[in-house]
Order: sequence, then C-alpha cells, then structure tokens
Amino acid sequence: MEPERFQETFKRLEGEIQKVIVGHDDVIRKVLIAFFAGGHILLEGVPGLGKTLLVKSLSHALGMSFKRIQFTPDLMPSDIVGTEVLADNDGRREFQFKQGPIFAHVVLADEINRATPKTQSAVLEAMEEKQVTVFGESHVLDSPFMVLATQNPIELEGTYPLPEAQLDRFFFKLLVAPPSPDQLREILKRTTGADVGECAKVLPDDGGKLVNEMKLLLRQVMIAPPIEDYVVRLVHATQPNGEQSGSSNGSVKQFIRFGSSPRGAQSVILGAKGNALAEGRVHVSYEDVEKVLSPALRHRIILNFQAEAENVSADQILAEVMKQVKRN
Amino acid sequence: MASSSHLEELTRPETVVLRLRAQLGNHALWDAILILLPPVLASLWATYFLVQGAWVSPLVGTAIAILANGFGALAVTLRYRKRIPKLPQAAQLVDKRAGAKDHFLTLATIDPANCPEPLLSRLRQDAEELVGRVELTRDFPYKVKTPMYWSAGSSLIALLLLYFLLPVAGAMIHPVSTSQRLRQLAEKMAQAPQLKELAEPLKTLAAKLEDTKIQPEEKQAAVKELEQKIAERRKQEDEKKNRDLLSQAADELKGVEQQQSAGGQEQQKNQSQGGGNLQSNLPKEGQGEGKQSQGGGGADGEGQMSAQSSKEMEQGKSAQGNPKEPGQDKNQQHQGDAKGNQPDPNQPGKELNKDRADKGQGGSKEGSGKNQSSEEPPQSAPPAERFYQAGEGKDGLKGARYVTVQLPEEVAADGKGESKATKEGTGKQRRSQVPVSNVPLPAHVPNAPAEKQQMPIEYRGIIR
Repeated sequence: MEPERFQETFKRLEGEIQKVIVGHDDVIRKVLIAFFAGGHILLEGVPGLGKTLLVKSLSHALGMSFKRIQFTPDLMPSDIVGTEVLADNDGRREFQFKQGPIFAHVVLADEINRATPKTQSAVLEAMEEKQVTVFGESHVLDSPFMVLATQNPIELEGTYPLPEAQLDRFFFKLLVAPPSPDQLREILKRTTGADVGECAKVLPDDGGKLVNEMKLLLRQVMIAPPIEDYVVRLVHATQPNGEQSGSSNGSVKQFIRFGSSPRGAQSVILGAKGNALAEGRVHVSYEDVEKVLSPALRHRIILNFQAEAENVSADQILAEVMKQVKRN
Repeated sequence: MASSSHLEELTRPETVVLRLRAQLGNHALWDAILILLPPVLASLWATYFLVQGAWVSPLVGTAIAILANGFGALAVTLRYRKRIPKLPQAAQLVDKRAGAKDHFLTLATIDPANCPEPLLSRLRQDAEELVGRVELTRDFPYKVKTPMYWSAGSSLIALLLLYFLLPVAGAMIHPVSTSQRLRQLAEKMAQAPQLKELAEPLKTLAAKLEDTKIQPEEKQAAVKELEQKIAERRKQEDEKKNRDLLSQAADELKGVEQQQSAGGQEQQKNQSQGGGNLQSNLPKEGQGEGKQSQGGGGADGEGQMSAQSSKEMEQGKSAQGNPKEPGQDKNQQHQGDAKGNQPDPNQPGKELNKDRADKGQGGSKEGSGKNQSSEEPPQSAPPAERFYQAGEGKDGLKGARYVTVQLPEEVAADGKGESKATKEGTGKQRRSQVPVSNVPLPAHVPNAPAEKQQMPIEYRGIIR
C-alpha cells in the first residue's frame, strides 16, 4: 500500500467522524491510530461527552460491525463471550455456541468499570488473543477487532476499578474533555436542529482487507535508532528503581509505584508510527513520540498513595519525564 | 555528465549530513587549536624568557618547550576528538535548519537493509526536497567562540605578569653582589669611550673585593683611590649620561667603603671582646679564661662566648657556674687545655688548696677565687720568669715564707680521685693531687693572695 493512500483514507475517516463529533480531534485521531495499530482504547470522561457516539461513528465510517455492551454489576462473562445453548438440529438436540456481543469488529464496552472483575477478565483474552474460549473450545474473533471501553471517573461508588493487567491491554487511554463554548455551540447547532449530521461510510465493502494493508504499512514505518533509543529511555525513566529516575527524575521516585511495562514502549512506537503516517510521513520523528507518550503510558503508570493524596496525575509525571530525558 | 552526477552526489541528503559532519569536525579542530595555541605559545615564550634570564638552563628550557608542544598537541587532539559531532547530531542540525521532521536523522542513521525500499525512496525524495533549504557554508559558518578570547586574554595576562614580576622576583631571590654591580658598571663604562679608562680599574676592584686573601685595609685603600679618580673624572665630565654613570659608580663605591669600614670595626670589636688575639697576656680582674682561650682565631661564636663569660665573671659569677651550657663547656675545655699546658708541675696541688681556702673565706672571693686560671700566669708566656723579683729564681724564693698544710686523711684520700668540689664545679676538670703546700704568688700579680694568709680555721687543728 502507498503511504499516500493510507493518509488519504485516514483523513477521510477523520473527516467523517468529525462531521458527527464536534471537537475531540485529537481523540478521534488517536482512536484511528489505535485502530490501525491493532490496539484497544479506554475512553475516560464524564457522561454526555459523546463517547458512545464517537465509537458508533467510527464503526459506521469504517463500515464494520459494531456491538455495544453495557457493563453492569450483574453482567456475566457468558453475556459477553457467548455460551453453549441446547439447540434442536433435525430432531437431534445438541449444544451450539451462541456468540456473544464480543464477536464484532468494533465493540463498545460502556462503563466497563461497573462490571465485576470476573466479567471484566472475560474481555481480557478477547482483547489480547483476538479469540475467546468457551467450554474448552476457542473461537477466533473477527478481524479487525477493536474494543473501545469507556469509564466514568466520577461515579466510582459500586464500581470495580480495572486491574492493572487489564489496563495494560489498552493501547491508549484517552481523556475526553468537556467541550469549549464554541464547540458546545456547534454541538447544539448540529444536534438540536432538523438536519442532524451523519457520517458516511469511508471504507469499501471489503474494508477488512484494506484495513489489514493499512495495518501492515503502519508497522513498516521507519524509525531511526536514536529515536528508538529515546523511547527506551523514556519508558525506562518511568521506573522508580531505574537508573534514569534515580539521577534525574525525582518525581518518578516520589510518586510512581510501578513504571510502564514493555507493552507501553510498544504502544509508544506503534502510536508514533501511526501518527507519522497520518501526517504523511514514512518515518517517525521525535515529535510523534512525544505526541503519543501520554496516551500510551498514562494508564500503565501506577501511582502511589502520595501521588493520589497530592493530586498528582500521571500526565504531570510524564511531562516531567519528557523534560528530563533529552533527545539524542 | 560527470559533473552533474557529482553535483547530485553532493546534494544527496546523506552526503549533506556527512559533509556537515566533516565541516563541523574542522570547526572543532580550529576551536581546539585556537583555544590551546595561546597557552602553548605563552609557555614557549615564558620558557624563552626564563632561559634568557638564566632562571633555567637552555637544556631544561628546550625540554620544557618540547613538553609544552607535546602537551598542546595532545590536548588539541583530545579536545578535537571529543568535539567531532556524531552523525545523528549533524543530521539533527540539518533537520533543524531545513525545517524537516527528522528526515535527515532517519536517513543518516537507519539501516537501509531493514527498510522497505518504497518507503526509503519516499523518505529520500522528501529529504531531497528539503535539502535545497540548507547551504552548509552559509548556515554553518565558523565562529570564534568566547573561550578563545578567554584563552588569549589569560595567556597574555600571564605573560605580562611574568614579564614584569620575574625581574622583581629575581632581584628578591638572587640579589646582585657589590662586585657584580661594579662589574656591570664597568661594562657600561667600557661602552662609553670617555670612561673606558675607568672601566678596567673598576673591574680590578671588583675582583679585589671578591678576593678573601686581600686584607680589608688594602681593599679599603683601593676603593678610596678609585673613588677619588671617579670624583675627579666626574668634575671633568660634561656629558650627562656619563656623569650619571660616574655618580652611580661613586655611590656604589661609597657603599663599598662603608661596608668595608663597618666590617673592619666589627672585626675589631670582636677581637676586643675576646674573640680575637690576645693583646696582652696579663690577666685582668674579673676576666676569666675567655681571654686566655686559644680560640681567638675570629670565630664569632667563640668570641661571643668568651665575652659573655668575661661579663659574668665581672658580675662575680663563676665561668663554671652552669655546666650544662655548651658554650661554657667549651670554655671549660679550654680551661682544661690551658691547665694541661701549665708549665708548673706543682700547680695542680696548689690549685685545690687555694680553692678550698677561697671557699672558706666566703663568697666575695669566690668570683675570682674559683677561677684558678685567672690567678695563674697566662700559658703563652713563660709563667714564672716575669714575676721574679730580685733574688727570685727557678729554684725558689729566697727568704719566702712557706705555709705547709696537711689535709685530713679522708680528704686527702678523696682528693686522689675526683674531689667533690671538682665534680660540682667543672665536671670535667681533674685534680689529681691533693695539695700539700701552697706557694703564695708575688704581690704585684693581680688577684694574688696576700703573702700572709689566714689559715682556715678547720685546718688549723691539723697543721703540724
């Protein structure tokens, strides 16, 4: 695939989603990058910011199957992955696998933190292995497959915070911020009038093939060794016991309990590659890395009690890390 | 065709990065040279200056110069190597100048074998579009950096300090002697045709002053003579420069004269205080062995010691008072020697007797009484002859009265070894014999006891 075609498709997808979603351009871009990088997204924001609409618009623009799972405390794993049901087959009764809502290209796990950990963990295998196992039988999920989970940061009562292992499986964690007055005005104009905007389908019918080609191209994007080294040093600097954090970054030692995993570094590089392609380049620059660092690492850094007490966010610490770690 | 391909090669993004790296390497080399050259040059000049001023020998100077050069070359190499920009750094500079987003960095550092060819060619194409924005000579000119100014300035200051302070330090550390100054003046005079005739005598005088064999009086006379000559010449001289030179010489000679006379006076003083030769061998009252000691050669230390002991004796103290004092020890040794040279074989016996008699008579006599040698004739002269009166001879005194005493047996026995008094007093002096008789000295001898002696009470009972 030509890089130009990738960029063109990407831009069109972005444009179509932006027809429905006002603002959140950065979120839209990162969602698309994560999609082509083969990752999953955790969207965090207060209710009513258009998170669900964003996911719906994405699936619509991609022209792919979309399922929504509303996570509740009584949701069972089988409600997600599916179950064996007794079915009548030409007079014979046998168990048949009934697919759950996870079997879709784009899955919206709405308010994922409201389900029990048992149910949450059912999504783990699906997200990482792109398959589910029911009664010992594995079922491969559709490709491309993407989970977009949302969670509400304010209504924490009766919620089950996602375990670190599950958080690590999300490619990006995106924060959906409230709209600015101008954006709100635009939202009102678009949604309260007679003419409600709808996004068009961008990908052709065999969109899966094109998406896979785009995914392959994204992985071929070149990255210079000094930039790769920069990513390594950045990720290593988030370790409270790392060499870098000891000497240069006091806030890491002070506020971080656990640093980023290697999966975080993978996410940074793939995200940077996606960003480079989206900008029409075939190589990663330092800026690409810095743009995707926070969404790729903010949920992978486990803050300690002191950070929570002092209201220090992961983004603040990552900004400090970026200041401390110099480019080559 | 060949030139266009060469141009293409030059404008290739990778080549531009390499060219920039080479250019920055040259800049680094110049930086290193310009920063380190002033100190090296300064050290070479300082070495030359030191050699010229005879602070160091030419061999050492050459070694220092070679070392400075070697060190400079090493420092330049080390600094240059450290400052050669790495390829990524050069590429980033090109990126920055061209407004590229790490295009050149990626091209310069990525391994082409691991890259898909279409993407690489696309990247190269993008970079070639940007390379036109960069012109190496325009965008990366050589600039003289601040450390170079510091280096040059500090080297210059160091040189100036050396230039101005070294002669001062030299004058402080190695002051020029009078004769050297005279020689220098002589050389200056030799350059002036009118004063040429005075140059030679000045040199001769300088040589004379250095010669230790020549007597001070002779030196002083020579100085005076030349001084007169110079004074006469100065009156005749019209030229200011020459007059100045002559005044300088006159001043110098005046100084020498004063020095000489001061030296002579000091010598005389030393001699008069006991350090010198004996003018008279007649012992004076209160003066001890200091004057009798043979060490009058002129050694100041001894002279002073003698003088000190003489003073002490004048105050009624004994020269043997503090045996711990080394000077006095020495004095006492002289005393011993002097006694050893006593020609009168009967002296030791007499001495102790006299000693004891003095002690018995009280402290007033002790100052002179304890000092036996002051009662004896000086050893350098024939002891008895000069004191002979009419009728006296070697055989003894005619009509002299003798007092014969005999000591108790225990005292006599003790006296055979080291007597108590001897131990306490001199420590080293030995009195081998217990005196059994006493011969009074003639009356005209100073400190001589009276002819009629009162016998000590304790001895009266045992006199037979």
